[in-house]
Amino acid sequence: MAGYNIPDTDYMVSGHVGCPGCGATIAMKFALKAMGEKTMVVIPACCWGVIAGPYPQSSLKVPILQTAFATAGATASGLRAALDMKGDSETTVMAWAGDGGTFDIGIQALSGAVERNEDFIYVCYDNEAYMNTGVQRSSATPFGSRTTTTPGKGWKKNRKKNMVEILAAHRIPYAATASIAYPEDMIRKFDKARRMKGGTRFIHVFATCPTGWRIPSEMSVKIARLAVQSNVFPLYEVENGVKYTINVEGSRPVADYFKIQGRFKHLTDEDFEKIQNMVDKDWELLLRKTSYFDRLT
Amino acid sequence: MAQEPENGKKIPLFISRSHILTDVNKTGSWRFVRPIYREKTAPCSTACPAGQDIPRIEMFFNQNQFEDALNTILFENPFPSVCGRVCFHPCERVCNRAGLDEPVAVHDLERFIGDAAARGELKPGLKKLPAKGKTVCIIGAGPAGMAAGYFLSRMGYSCDIYEARSEPGGILRWGIPRYRLPETVLTFEIDRIKQYGLKISCNTPVTHDFVEDAKNRYQAVFIACGHGRSLKMNIPGEHMADDGLDYLNRLRKGDTAPSTTTAAVIGGGNTAIDVARSLVRQGTKTTLIYRRQKQDMPAFKEEVEMAVEEGVTIMELFSPVKIEKHDEEFVISLQKMKTAGMETDRGRSRVIPDGGPGHQFRTLKIFTAIGAEPADPWLSPLQKTDATLDLSHCTLADSDPPLLYGGDLTNAIQSVPDAVASGKQAAMAIDIFFKQGRHAITDRLNSCRVGNGPALSMARYMGEKQRNRHEDVVSFEHINLDYFPRESRAETKTLSLDDRVRSFDEIKTTLTIDRALKESRRCFNCGICNACDNCRIFCPEIAVTLHAGERQIDLDYCKGCGICVVECPRSAMELQEEG
Ligand SMILES: Cc1ncc(C[n+]2csc(CCOP(=O)(O)OP(=O)(O)O)c2C)c(N)n1
Ligand code: SF4
Ligand SMILES: [Mg+2]
Repeated sequence: MAGYNIPDTDYMVSGHVGCPGCGATIAMKFALKAMGEKTMVVIPACCWGVIAGPYPQSSLKVPILQTAFATAGATASGLRAALDMKGDSETTVMAWAGDGGTFDIGIQALSGAVERNEDFIYVCYDNEAYMNTGVQRSSATPFGSRTTTTPGKGWKKNRKKNMVEILAAHRIPYAATASIAYPEDMIRKFDKARRMKGGTRFIHVFATCPTGWRIPSEMSVKIARLAVQSNVFPLYEVENGVKYTINVEGSRPVADYFKIQGRFKHLTDEDFEKIQNMVDKDWELLLRKTSYFDRLT
Repeated sequence: MAQEPENGKKIPLFISRSHILTDVNKTGSWRFVRPIYREKTAPCSTACPAGQDIPRIEMFFNQNQFEDALNTILFENPFPSVCGRVCFHPCERVCNRAGLDEPVAVHDLERFIGDAAARGELKPGLKKLPAKGKTVCIIGAGPAGMAAGYFLSRMGYSCDIYEARSEPGGILRWGIPRYRLPETVLTFEIDRIKQYGLKISCNTPVTHDFVEDAKNRYQAVFIACGHGRSLKMNIPGEHMADDGLDYLNRLRKGDTAPSTTTAAVIGGGNTAIDVARSLVRQGTKTTLIYRRQKQDMPAFKEEVEMAVEEGVTIMELFSPVKIEKHDEEFVISLQKMKTAGMETDRGRSRVIPDGGPGHQFRTLKIFTAIGAEPADPWLSPLQKTDATLDLSHCTLADSDPPLLYGGDLTNAIQSVPDAVASGKQAAMAIDIFFKQGRHAITDRLNSCRVGNGPALSMARYMGEKQRNRHEDVVSFEHINLDYFPRESRAETKTLSLDDRVRSFDEIKTTLTIDRALKESRRCFNCGICNACDNCRIFCPEIAVTLHAGERQIDLDYCKGCGICVVECPRSAMELQEEG
């Protein structure tokens, strides 16, 4: 595409039933631009299970295997094994699961597969709650968020689980974060992951959800960008669990990101200060890991 | 696929398989707002008296399409190299980029393009319309007359220009010192205009009778001969002072004799500053005497600052009352002035005598440069009627064939781009007069305005596609700053102060290509589509299509999320309620 280093061909098609402004659909569009035709997608229960098309329709031009909520890691392992038996080493298996299906119910199957260093790409598109069933909190829901299971004063007081660190601790070849607001960076990472055959590659994609986050649909990309600009969702890569690379360094206050979202509208300046503190500490920790491992390796 | 159950019988395992794509669903029916491509006008363009399409010029520039950039300039202004040097660049004062860091150096980029053309590296490609079989008489080959001739010839008119002096160029040639505008630059741009076939008769001063006769011989007459008579102070001894403009003329003609060791220049406009700075270059200790505050001088601020740097002393709030000669010296009696409130209409302080004792200033030479006026009363309509049209940059007298006055004779601001604006407006008015009649002129001109300002777009007048210069002007809040990191403005190299005061060499240099390209990328390209492709990249519905360079919204699938509109960095799109 003009001005950008982005492949022109799309493997996602129009007419899907994602909500207007759905970040998860933008995520799939970018991912497949990099992955190309020789890809099989494994999708457990999640919004994308619906967006992929009600039978007999499909919104992707590549094969999709729909599977049970908890099983993306196991199904992807099995699919890989089947392809290997057929002698097809060219096709890449890409598991594509939500945050509920990754952080919570799917973590066992995922950890098992990753410990075996299965040869696939596992993508978690993170919209920070169980959106498909009506915005229930997950362990990816951030501190401060209201969901239907953390309503009113009961807004979520626990931190978001750091999934990339969990995956990096498995010492897989590649774990990275990506954002729909940074298409070139995201497509580069998928392309890199595609080429790194032979082990598990994990990509954690930040995908806004206008419906669940109570944000205007047109702000979908802008808010994803703000998450990076404020270091709430840092863009970085970890190779072999130790080699850290930070891609973008943010400098905006977290309040810029939080204040424009309905799910956080109850938060006070005091809360923002607390969150800023948490984000600063996490960022600091990331920087330290980056330089610590740099010295070690 | 099948499994081997215990009893040995095969049970088929059915996995349903989709076989059509979702594009059978016309999800565009979900939409209640619709994105549209709608280009808007950049503030710089509306501020440019010549109405240049600045964001498009900079867009072509940063896409390395220098010839397109040149032609976009030349569509509206025949003098890029001149204006890149002497224009006071009002465009930069309103540049949206100032909200982020500093304005884009528009004038440096214009100069770069103009100079590349002068070196023969770029060829202008503006075509001439078929001959109309009508000839226009233009009086004065200054910037307004030359601009009128340029636009009229492009529209297919023959033009005869009459010029009193020995060469065309007017104030550009005779009144602007070489250190601001080298002669070669001017000559090149005048020659390029001449290539459109206009006829210039020099050494041909014009009388009132000539004009009356011209009305019979020509189909239209445009008078733009500037202000030929210097204003007088009306004080005793004034006749002993030299005329500042005459001095500049002599310098341009090559009279380089050092004038004197000390001199006083009376005035505060650009001519006064030019005279003072030229004197400094001839080794004269120069004092400028101005009756108002320095900050209220009509001269361009930058020029005043440079004059001071070069050693010109400014005496503000002193009004000359008498000039006497004592031996070799002149003595100017001065009245000290003080401010007394503001002038209602001009945004400057009113001044009155401060009532204190008089002052005396001694000097070996005095130059006056307090302004000029038309040399003859017939240089404005002798009688105004209801049919007289007072336009922003020219006046159309009640006569048939049409007789127009323009340039400094009518312009509120006497600048080069305003002169171009006058020539353009006159050319359009004449063309409209012939095509639709006098009554249609005002409306038709209004329909060619750039944004909400008075500047006119020739591209719009001549119906160029994609050049709809919309009345909506892009403001800083409309720019998506996520796409524009801070970047410092290009600095032009200038001669050292020592070299400046010792010669008439040009002070500023043209940007290098690398720096110019980098500078052009600083432009937001406010309001125009520069094919950045953000709309297509981010659309979650894959509903933005590209056919033969045109982006379109596929309304079968667009759900109206509005992401494309927000992610358009430069406000070339907007959301519209579904009707
Ligand atoms: C075992 C099981 N429990 C519950 C469900 C119902 N269910 C379907 S999708 C979903 C939420 C998925 O959330 P997430 O993985 O975050 O994806 P999202 O819908 O947010 O895209 C749930 C709870 C299910 N399909 N299977
Ligand atoms: S950024 Fe460019 S288009 Fe916008 S006002 Fe400045 S010069 Fe004009
Ligand atoms: Mg989710």
